[in-house]
Amino acid sequence: MSFVSLKFVIFLLVAVIGFYSIPKRWQWAWLLAFSYVYYAAAGLKMVPFLLFSTLVSYSAGIWMDRIKNNQVEEDQIQRKKRYILLITLILNFGMLVVMKYTNFAVANLNFLFGSHFSFQALLLPLGISFYTFQSAGYIIDVYWEKFEAEKNFFRFALFVSFFPQLLQGPIGRFDKLAHQLYEEHSLDWSRMERSLQRILWGFFKKMVVADNAARFVDEVFARNNFPKYSGTFILVAILGYSIQLYGDFSGGMDIVKGVALLFGIELDENFKRPYFATSLADFWHRWHITLGTWMKDYVFYPISLSKTMNRFGKFTRKVFGKNIGRAIPIGLANLIVFFLVGVWHGANWKYIVYGLFHGSIIAISGMMMLTTRKWKSKLHIPDISISWRVFQIARTFLLVNISWYFDRADDLNHAFALLNKTVTDFHISDLWNGKFLLYGVTRITPEYYYVVLFACLTLFVVSYTQEKGIHLGERIRSKPIVLRFAIYLILLYALPALGTLSSSSGGFIYAQF
Amino acid sequence: VKNSEGLQKIIAILEEICPGVDYNNSQTLVDHQIIDSFAILSLVAELQEEFDVYITPMQIKPANFNSAQALWNMVERLQAGGK
Repeated sequence: MSFVSLKFVIFLLVAVIGFYSIPKRWQWAWLLAFSYVYYAAAGLKMVPFLLFSTLVSYSAGIWMDRIKNNQVEEDQIQRKKRYILLITLILNFGMLVVMKYTNFAVANLNFLFGSHFSFQALLLPLGISFYTFQSAGYIIDVYWEKFEAEKNFFRFALFVSFFPQLLQGPIGRFDKLAHQLYEEHSLDWSRMERSLQRILWGFFKKMVVADNAARFVDEVFARNNFPKYSGTFILVAILGYSIQLYGDFSGGMDIVKGVALLFGIELDENFKRPYFATSLADFWHRWHITLGTWMKDYVFYPISLSKTMNRFGKFTRKVFGKNIGRAIPIGLANLIVFFLVGVWHGANWKYIVYGLFHGSIIAISGMMMLTTRKWKSKLHIPDISISWRVFQIARTFLLVNISWYFDRADDLNHAFALLNKTVTDFHISDLWNGKFLLYGVTRITPEYYYVVLFACLTLFVVSYTQEKGIHLGERIRSKPIVLRFAIYLILLYALPALGTLSSSSGGFIYAQF
Repeated sequence: VKNSEGLQKIIAILEEICPGVDYNNSQTLVDHQIIDSFAILSLVAELQEEFDVYITPMQIKPANFNSAQALWNMVERLQAGGK
């Protein structure tokens, strides 16, 4: 059930009206029922996977708490808890790996050994990458005794399955999200208006920005089409893709956040104007934030602080000196994290290259931090200089766009072919000689470019004001009722008038992960 | 190690890893991203060596890293065998 469908609007209306009509103590159960209906509507066959992940993590949490309360010896408690954690993670991630990566593994083994194993393509349960990570985060936190395990299975099931975030995140944390799901919520009209604003803005980003940009991007990048286009087209298409992906994913997040807010639930922010980032590390503080913090807390720190890495750090400090020696293990842990970020996106080498591209640049710049600082001081470049900041933003945007080639292409060969064409077949005159009007193929007309430009400009102005700390939503809410609802109506009418309804699965790019 | 002595040592380590910050007064080193995860791990490596403590992922939270004083409190706690 795509967010961009009448079915979903009706489903949501029933869910919201019922939520505020039933006794408040049953609101969480109402949400649980609707979450499972929502997931079952996407495919009944996928429900057992969600239940499996829920059951495994729930039982492990209860078991760990029992051990903590029944055992006396601290060593014994830790050892037993470690075993349970290990088994739980193997079961949770084992399911994810089997469902998502078996086909990829078999294809690579066949390539390596010249074998011809065939494997029936498995069903990939929607949202599996998100709910597996959410459950795994919970169980690691219980292991770390950050909080006590949830005793009520059905309440825990709601934490894993809350429908707005089930298919594309954000990846929630139990200590921030769960209590909101179980609390009683009263109807609050100003909160409802805030939700509506967020949902409308999300649909604008999705339908007017992303899906419009996608028409040009899909046409130019298609494997059969791209040889006939020059590098100029491919460059414009990759810029279009950066707009499409941001509009699609962050617009989806706005809708998810807005829908959750209809029930009084504040989900974590997943985006903070990523194209204003001044470095790739900063980019990951602004793009898919909840995946980045998940990786940092549950992979990066644990690997970096492990005894093995500690010993390795002592060795590198002895060999390479204090500064470089200290940075090498951190850089290595960072590479492992970004390898996993790449793999998380899908079973394809292009995603591994995408992850390692980000990881290696962040690792190298982390290791060079002190040297860079020295150079900057020698060249008298102040951190607060506007031109330096603009340079940093442009440099980061360029690097991010290079990585988008790997994200968008069908595979690694396709990505390299597109990159090669951008550099070797670039003709600036293509921008004004009329070649960009692809009438025949995708009805791409001058009007199309005006709409896309208008959408991008609106997105830029809103993002820029947010970056400057101005909350447009709040400002609009402080205006007289007639004016603000006029704005909402204009936005609402803009959606079908200017937007494109995505035909590809009717959905969002990240819902496929 | 006395409180003031430990604190000064921590400030010196912070200065070396990420110079140009007022560590005597700053209370939001993590919250305002003055020190990033690379700096946090460099700091951990130095603290472990200097004060002979073992820092686990559980201790990596803003409350322990937001100020020099919070860092020193964590070190003292770990030296005393606490979590």
